[in-house]
Amino acid sequence: MATARPGWSRRAQYGLFFSFLALIAGIIVGAILLALSILAPARFESVRGAALDITGPVAGGLREVTATVEGVFTGAGNYWDAAGQNGQLRRERDEMRRQILQARAIVQENRELKAVLQLREHQRDTIAVGRLVGSSLSSPRRFAILSVGSSDGVRIGMPVRSPNGLVGRVIDAGTIASRVLLVSDRANIVPARLLRGGIPVISQGRGDGTIDVRPLEVGRNPFRRGDIIITSGTGGLYPPLVPIARIVKLDDDGAVAMPLADPADTSFAIVEPPYEPAATAEASSP
Amino acid sequence: MVRAALATKRKIGQGPRPLAAFIPAISIIAASLLAALPVVTTSGWFPDFGFLALISWRLLRSDPWPAWWAAPMGLVNDLFTGLPIGFSVALWTATMLALDLVDRRTMWRDYWIEWVLAAMLIAIDEWLQWRVAAMTGARVPLVAMAPPLVISICVFPLSAWLVSRIDHWRLGR
Repeated sequence: MATARPGWSRRAQYGLFFSFLALIAGIIVGAILLALSILAPARFESVRGAALDITGPVAGGLREVTATVEGVFTGAGNYWDAAGQNGQLRRERDEMRRQILQARAIVQENRELKAVLQLREHQRDTIAVGRLVGSSLSSPRRFAILSVGSSDGVRIGMPVRSPNGLVGRVIDAGTIASRVLLVSDRANIVPARLLRGGIPVISQGRGDGTIDVRPLEVGRNPFRRGDIIITSGTGGLYPPLVPIARIVKLDDDGAVAMPLADPADTSFAIVEPPYEPAATAEASSP
Repeated sequence: MVRAALATKRKIGQGPRPLAAFIPAISIIAASLLAALPVVTTSGWFPDFGFLALISWRLLRSDPWPAWWAAPMGLVNDLFTGLPIGFSVALWTATMLALDLVDRRTMWRDYWIEWVLAAMLIAIDEWLQWRVAAMTGARVPLVAMAPPLVISICVFPLSAWLVSRIDHWRLGR
């Protein structure tokens, strides 16, 4: 339908007109669907889940290949400075051992103090363990695809963490794959606190892989480079004491931090039940 | 097509491939599926492969598929890339319509005009993605959209070249 009028044929003219109408109808349908998915995201849960079940395994299969290739290259790189690395690792190990001993003593003391106070501890169990196999490639939003789905017990709204730190929370769950809203997404706001001093802060993604942290109380900027941010457990969705990020840069009234669980080389991600189950209802909207 | 007329002489006995009429649509769905690449990025600066393939095909030919196919192909793209459902449906159909109108206006076309057109369409796409992200609670600064925009515009010639190769292959030229 490139030309203004396809000759004298009535049939061709009508064909042109109807394809024009079809386009208008397509735009309207698209706009309605878009409005629905912005205003009522829950409506499309099952469709999005089904699509995830198609993309998840594809990405998972290909991920094996890239992981192997990457492994070969980094493995070769490690041989370059093996002796120096060896000495450094040994020093770090000795330092770690001392710290672990201290930590054990603190855990023991903590347990006794809690028993004295008769605090009830939350049982923290694992729903499923999966791998991050893909991510949103071209979007201001930061999503990742996780290789476990509702057949493993994953539900929308559950927090996801890795051994290094917090990854995000589940926003779409297919049968065998799910989509995770990363902590670096702008819409992911995590109540947190500073590990040094316990000052309450708010962590919000910046959409480019880093995180904005702001103190809850206005005043002096409490951050220092290298500070660790941990979850506070406020709000009930994320469990407390999970490390989130490390401060890399200070700005006027807050700081920029890098997530500790880098989704690009997080091999395993752990899906946990919401800390307070009542919190999932609010968290399910992306 | 003028560029085809400039090509070397055709091979005798070789016609279009089977399903030649569906190959453009299939290639676009394949491009959308690139979103399943096992790349976990922290920045999201990859181009919108499906949209790039769509405008490459549409700028190369005026009738790669019946115009309304843009809507279902957009739905497939939405499902695979994780965009809000309906975004690509509306944007892709509107793009088809806009390019039809542009076709009526332009007297002549060359590579530069096509690139500028593509750049404008990509900019609209990125801006709308930014708007929709802001509406769903992820208001990032507009400057953050500049790197993916520049990357997409630079990748367009490559995608246009690939699409023209696929077009030659499917028509058996």
